[in-house]
Amino acid sequence: MATRIEVDEIAPPRARYGPIDWMGGWKTCVVGSIAILVLNLVHWWYVSSHAWTAGIDASSPEFTKYFRSLVWIQLILIGAGTGLWWGWLVRTGRRIVAVKVTADEEVRRIAVFWGLVAMTSVTLYVMASFWPNQDGSWHQTAVRDTALTPPHIPMFYWWFPAGITMTVGTYLYGRYRLPKIYGAEKGFPWSFFFLIAASVTEMMQVAFNEWAHSLWILEEIFAAPFHWPFVLYGWLASGIFALWAETLIRLLGIEKEVEDAATLAKAA
Amino acid sequence: MARTAQEALQLTTLLNKKYKYFDYKWDLVFWVTALPIVAAAADITKLLFAGDWDFWTDWKDRQWWMTLTPFAMIIIPSALQYIQWLAWKFPTGFTYTAVGLWLVAWFGRWLQWDVFVNYPLNFVWPATIVPAAIFADWVLLKSRSFILTSILGGFAFTVGFWVANYITLAPYLQPAELMGRVVTVADVQGMSYIRSATPEYLRMIEHGTLRSFLEETALVSLLFGSTLATAGYWVGQAIGRWLAIWPIMRFMKKV
Repeated sequence: MATRIEVDEIAPPRARYGPIDWMGGWKTCVVGSIAILVLNLVHWWYVSSHAWTAGIDASSPEFTKYFRSLVWIQLILIGAGTGLWWGWLVRTGRRIVAVKVTADEEVRRIAVFWGLVAMTSVTLYVMASFWPNQDGSWHQTAVRDTALTPPHIPMFYWWFPAGITMTVGTYLYGRYRLPKIYGAEKGFPWSFFFLIAASVTEMMQVAFNEWAHSLWILEEIFAAPFHWPFVLYGWLASGIFALWAETLIRLLGIEKEVEDAATLAKAA
Repeated sequence: MARTAQEALQLTTLLNKKYKYFDYKWDLVFWVTALPIVAAAADITKLLFAGDWDFWTDWKDRQWWMTLTPFAMIIIPSALQYIQWLAWKFPTGFTYTAVGLWLVAWFGRWLQWDVFVNYPLNFVWPATIVPAAIFADWVLLKSRSFILTSILGGFAFTVGFWVANYITLAPYLQPAELMGRVVTVADVQGMSYIRSATPEYLRMIEHGTLRSFLEETALVSLLFGSTLATAGYWVGQAIGRWLAIWPIMRFMKKV
């Protein structure tokens, strides 16, 4: 565990933009959210381009070429990307967690944190609304002869894991970059517990979903009871609202500290 | 209740207070970036509790569609109503969720059902809750009571749901003749667009002796749907209270 030490203050890395400028602290929010939407549309384009020609028969060589290979590419990319990002957050975080920061820098980090929360929100939209719609249209139309159907591949083996990547990554950012809110000494926040639990249990529910389809029904009834856990687990993501509230409370604290410092300086 | 002069002064001071870091961007970012997850939560709740009746015109019946769908669609708006009323005293949670759901539902139907599978949108259009949501928010605005909103708002939401969507549905309920039988236009759509993994034996509409109630059928379903909506409202309140608000600044103790 990192030992907290007092060294020189960290100021925002880029003086060109302020902590609450769109291209300053908010850059993560704007660029990150758009990047996820663009990536998702590219994903949709690939799947929709090949689903009806190569995705119908899971035993065909075309299916292996266009879809089974996609599963492996996705799993390798999301696994490696997640490991690298989390590892970077922890490794660099341990070095800076104990370093005192200026008010500007802490506000910039809160804005970045909100950006990560925004990216999480967009990711959860993609996994819980965008792809389930394709899941419905495909599985109520085409015959299911594999668990790795064209809509399942992007949804269950990229965007569901991406939900875990984003929720845990956002927590790691908060734990090491915003220690006054999420520092390890406070214990584990319930807000993140619910949010991370939502993404992890959704991933686990995928296994039950496939098992249940193989046991009860290969055809698709969306309101089938064995689908309901997807909804119940999804509700846990409500913890995201507590993240906005917790950081706003700290932001008010920073405003107060800045105000008090200005009053003191004036009095002196 | 009238404000005292001191309270008015406090509010004015707060309103004119200059902040160094707080500006319009925090509000904008919150309201915009919360919408995807709110809309997705509302959509997945609707899809997996009552989606089959929402997907197809020929499933939009008087037995299940108008009883299950209001229950499924009131849950997340209720959670948002609690959050927004608690945080800002805004009676907007239903409407905010409804608008987000409208956006993602139509985007999904267009891209995934129309463009991807080629079902016409007039067969797979999603039900709207925007007018029903405005009713329910209005009930909270006037009553300032979650209990009254759950009962009166639940009823208004269900009736609003039926009336608003009946306007879209009515043309598809007109009679048509197909292979010597009188069916609805919606039935003709259902038989024309093949859903090989949703065969006829899976179509759950108007079972039992529902049709023997004749013109009372819709009323019976509306009243039962309202009862279910009231229950769904409290499921949403539980989500808002215990999963969204309760965790604020709470931490697990280290073992």
